[in-house]
Amino acid sequence: MSSKTAKPAMRSAAWRISLWATLAFACGTMLVFVFLHRFVAKDIQRRSDAWLSGEVEMLGEVAEQSPRNALYDRIVGEVADLAEKEIPNRLLSETRSNDSVFFLQTSGNGTPTLWVGAGAVAPFSQAIQRAGVPENRPADIRVEGFDVPFRVASMRLPDGSLIYLGLSERDELRVLRQLRFRFILLWPLLVLLGFAIVFYTTRRMLRRVQRITEAAARIGHTDLTARVPSSRRNDEVGQLGRTLNRMLDRIENSMHQLHTITDSLAHDLRSPLTAIRGKLEMSLSAPTHGEQAEAVVSAIEELDRLTEFLNTSLDVAEGKADALRLSRSEIQLCDLLRAMMDLYEPSMSEKELQISLRCSEPVKIHADAALIHRMIANLFDNELKHLPPHCTVTLLLESRKGAAWLTLEDDGPGFEPEVVPHLFERRVKGKQSRGHGLGLAFVDAVVRAHGGTVSASEREGGGARITLSLPLSSARQDANAPETALVQSRQGTQ
Amino acid sequence: MRLLLVEDEHDIQTFLRNSLTEAGYQVDVASDGKKAEALALEAPYDILIVDLGLPDIDGISLILRLRQIGVTAPVLILSARRSVDDRVRGLEHGGDDYLTKPFALAELLARLRNLLKRNSPAGNEATRLHVLDLELDLLRREATRSGQILQLTPQEFVLLEYLCRNAGRVVTRSMILDKVWGMRIQPDTNVVDVHIYRLRGKVDARGQQPLIRTLRGVGYVLKDR
Repeated sequence: MSSKTAKPAMRSAAWRISLWATLAFACGTMLVFVFLHRFVAKDIQRRSDAWLSGEVEMLGEVAEQSPRNALYDRIVGEVADLAEKEIPNRLLSETRSNDSVFFLQTSGNGTPTLWVGAGAVAPFSQAIQRAGVPENRPADIRVEGFDVPFRVASMRLPDGSLIYLGLSERDELRVLRQLRFRFILLWPLLVLLGFAIVFYTTRRMLRRVQRITEAAARIGHTDLTARVPSSRRNDEVGQLGRTLNRMLDRIENSMHQLHTITDSLAHDLRSPLTAIRGKLEMSLSAPTHGEQAEAVVSAIEELDRLTEFLNTSLDVAEGKADALRLSRSEIQLCDLLRAMMDLYEPSMSEKELQISLRCSEPVKIHADAALIHRMIANLFDNELKHLPPHCTVTLLLESRKGAAWLTLEDDGPGFEPEVVPHLFERRVKGKQSRGHGLGLAFVDAVVRAHGGTVSASEREGGGARITLSLPLSSARQDANAPETALVQSRQGTQ
Repeated sequence: MRLLLVEDEHDIQTFLRNSLTEAGYQVDVASDGKKAEALALEAPYDILIVDLGLPDIDGISLILRLRQIGVTAPVLILSARRSVDDRVRGLEHGGDDYLTKPFALAELLARLRNLLKRNSPAGNEATRLHVLDLELDLLRREATRSGQILQLTPQEFVLLEYLCRNAGRVVTRSMILDKVWGMRIQPDTNVVDVHIYRLRGKVDARGQQPLIRTLRGVGYVLKDR
């Protein structure tokens, strides 16, 4: 497992997506519940209102038809008691049922004449008068000494008296309370379940993306044969994988094309070069006049320069396309630089140039030794060609932030300001330069191919500075044996 | 020494046959893999030169097939390709060698000699080298000319040793860079010449017969006559 998958879940995109999705889910379910609650509350009210209206009508009829005698109270009272047994929404757990319904008959001026219900009549009649219950339309009243309001329906009898039938909203409220209580209990569980499902699915989905990312990262600059994992599923992630793979196919194809072109170009030019060089060498071994020999010699030298130019050109072309082929081995950069300095020191001192290297610790890189050799040779050749006498070239090698940093400074005339931004491009050279303008482009190509960086700047106090970094070799050893030893053999074996 | 040259380019074929014959090899030429196989079956060769880009068969496959039919002679591979094929690398470890085109004739001859020597039973490694009045003590890393000790740096000693081992034969700059410094580079400047110039200043002191000769356009040679 790479460090990326091991990162805490709370910092993953799946976590963030799940949080937002859960928030939306929680809000949604809450909203649905609020609507449901209101609907239930209204429905209960509507049913109790219908019951109240029906009952009060029936009571009105009874009261109207019963003769006003001593039995009147009993008849009406019993009808009222009966009504209580038909209460809608009634809970069976109710013990003192008679306090949930009351019946009141008042005379035209509001004096109570008949009372069936729990407790004294006074608070009820006061509450009714205070609320001013309209006829034929149930209304809420709050009665002193009762926590829950009563729903009251009224009816005026032909004799001018009013009858009121009240129903406590206690049961209704209890139903709603229980509904709310159960929801509050279930809601977090529901939200948690939602979160878990969303988190699990997004994490699974993003794992596939993660695997694609990891595989894509593993596909190196030059190894393009690998592919990202792709599933047969036709969703976005599957499409991502397939699209990436198609892209890799195309890149690999163009890389292959580039290699084919450069290889066949090299091949087609090298064969005649070989023949020409051979013929020139043959003619040199035959007895020739001095002047002729001189011409042949310079032709051979030009030919060798042309060959080197061809090689470097193609390397730079491949390097610019991130297609330079490397055969890597473990290299002690410090030792390599020392050996290169040994080689160049006599030429430098011949031109009265000083060269020094500061390198305090061994710096190991995993790189193509031949290319690194040629790159350093390019840098040194550059100094040799461009520096006026009595200059100093300073090399500083250090390892920092997982990379080897090589700084090459001189106290010469520095770069011509107009070429500085384009120093590492092909065919860019100063006006005084005699080179073919590939030296630094080659340096750039090699450094890039190894995953490093290179930059050039003016040195403080005059002169040029080139800074390049190459990734340090990781702890793992490559399975390949080092193909090119630093110094294969110090002894001539022939 | 019987040598089989497998090369399809006519110009290269011609000049190689001439140069190799001049160098004392008995050269047979094959332009394709089929002919090479037929020739190799007919008579044993001491050494083979095989170009990788043959018209009918890939050079590596040819070498593998020749090995199958019992050809044990060392092979020098010529390649015009830019990157050295991994399979060539494998063969190189197996005792063969490769050379990229274009090459200096001197280097080709040196590599052929090297391959032949590798193939023959090794003699006792000398601890002293003599070339005319020049003497190198390989153990004490000391060089003398006419009995006079030469003040050489370790690097100069290695360079002189390489020249002595190849006394009488031409060595090119790239051969020197490869064998003395272990670098396959083609410097744009005269770094090798300066080393030789310095060495010559010490070896061919005033009044003595100059030993280190420059063959312009080719390389250097340490005279042994």
